[in-house]
Amino acid sequence: MAHNAIEIQAVSKSFRGQKVLDGLSFDVERGKTFALLGRNAAGKTTTIRLLLGLLGRDDGAIRVLGLDPAVSPLEVRDRVGYLAEDQTMYGWMRVAEIIRFVAPFYSTWDHDLALKLVRQFELPLNAKIRHLSKGQNVRLGLALAFAHRPELVVLDDPALGLDPIMRRQFNRDLVEHLQSEGATIFYSSHLLDEVEPVADVVAILDEGQIRCLADTDTLRSNVKQIVIPAAAANLVSGIDHLDAQSGRDELAMTVENATAVCDYLAAEGITFRVNDLNLDEIFAAYVDGRKIETLNQFTNSPQLV
Amino acid sequence: MLIRIEKGSSVPISRQLAEQIATHIAAGRIKPGERVPSVRELAKQLAVNQNTILRVYERLTADGLLQRRQGQGTFVADQLPRRRPAAHRDRLIEELRQLVHQARGLGLTDGQLHELLDTALGQVEAHSTANP
Repeated sequence: MAHNAIEIQAVSKSFRGQKVLDGLSFDVERGKTFALLGRNAAGKTTTIRLLLGLLGRDDGAIRVLGLDPAVSPLEVRDRVGYLAEDQTMYGWMRVAEIIRFVAPFYSTWDHDLALKLVRQFELPLNAKIRHLSKGQNVRLGLALAFAHRPELVVLDDPALGLDPIMRRQFNRDLVEHLQSEGATIFYSSHLLDEVEPVADVVAILDEGQIRCLADTDTLRSNVKQIVIPAAAANLVSGIDHLDAQSGRDELAMTVENATAVCDYLAAEGITFRVNDLNLDEIFAAYVDGRKIETLNQFTNSPQLV
Repeated sequence: MLIRIEKGSSVPISRQLAEQIATHIAAGRIKPGERVPSVRELAKQLAVNQNTILRVYERLTADGLLQRRQGQGTFVADQLPRRRPAAHRDRLIEELRQLVHQARGLGLTDGQLHELLDTALGQVEAHSTANP
């Protein structure tokens, strides 16, 4: 059995000449919960559709459970649990009916498990789908995605449109029903605070590439904001940084290698202080960071030149 | 064992967990030899990844606060270490340092800051005498 549930190597995809994925590469280890983070239109849904074989790639290689989804899309979809973004199901069907409708698509469908999940998720079997709430819809989608006991579950922004209580419930469902069974979970999200409690690994997707991939504790201990006196700005111009903000007397830089930068500053005798960042701030630094040089153009601050 | 996870905090969830469990133990709210929730139970209760809980339990076990008994679960250690783990102390110093920065930002003198700390100590003291 392969070590990785998903392998993506140098994948590119364009729509009408517009490059959406640009040499995308990453692996998802079996048994891990992997969160793909990105802004709207960063390429999250395109990535997921490529994994399921719902789209063809222009370039690169993809393996899902050892299979190429472009070659064996049906086999991939038989073995993967999938919940599409804003999944719309037939509103006139009842919960019990859709379970029977979906079952034949999967060779390993476990009807008892489907009924058990529906019961645990407190979904009324006789209710019509169009009468379910948004939260119930997501739970029904989860039950349908997991009732064939897939080794890998792929969820496209499942928490989209859920209120805070339902988001928490959704996280609990993931922990209780998927992680505890050892399933690999690959899901996209734009809600970092919700992702941190459940993800083993987060990847930040921006402009069609992975900007960073790490477990959340490592990410938090490596990425910090370091504040130095503005007068020392010319001494740090060589330091690689994600974001810089200048105040009147101080310059705040967000760096990826906080320990090394602190060692350097200490060795140079520059006074500094370190701020811990939350995941939202880390995400913003990666996808919306500004460099010192850009600051110079806008502020013309003499201290920074 | 009551644990509160603050989402969106700059303190990582694993550290929030470790510190709160350590505080419960230090305050005697869970006693030596008492069983703590299983990894699975706590993960479900808090909606937090089991691997995170497992890592925290392993760290607290290495610090001598918890004991894992084969096949029985995880317990508060019978013999608690006398000294607080160094990490806990470092974190407290860091928080104090942040407080000092804030106080300076507000234009407080060192003397005034000491007075404020004395006031806070007095309030905690009075509160714990009123609610033993």
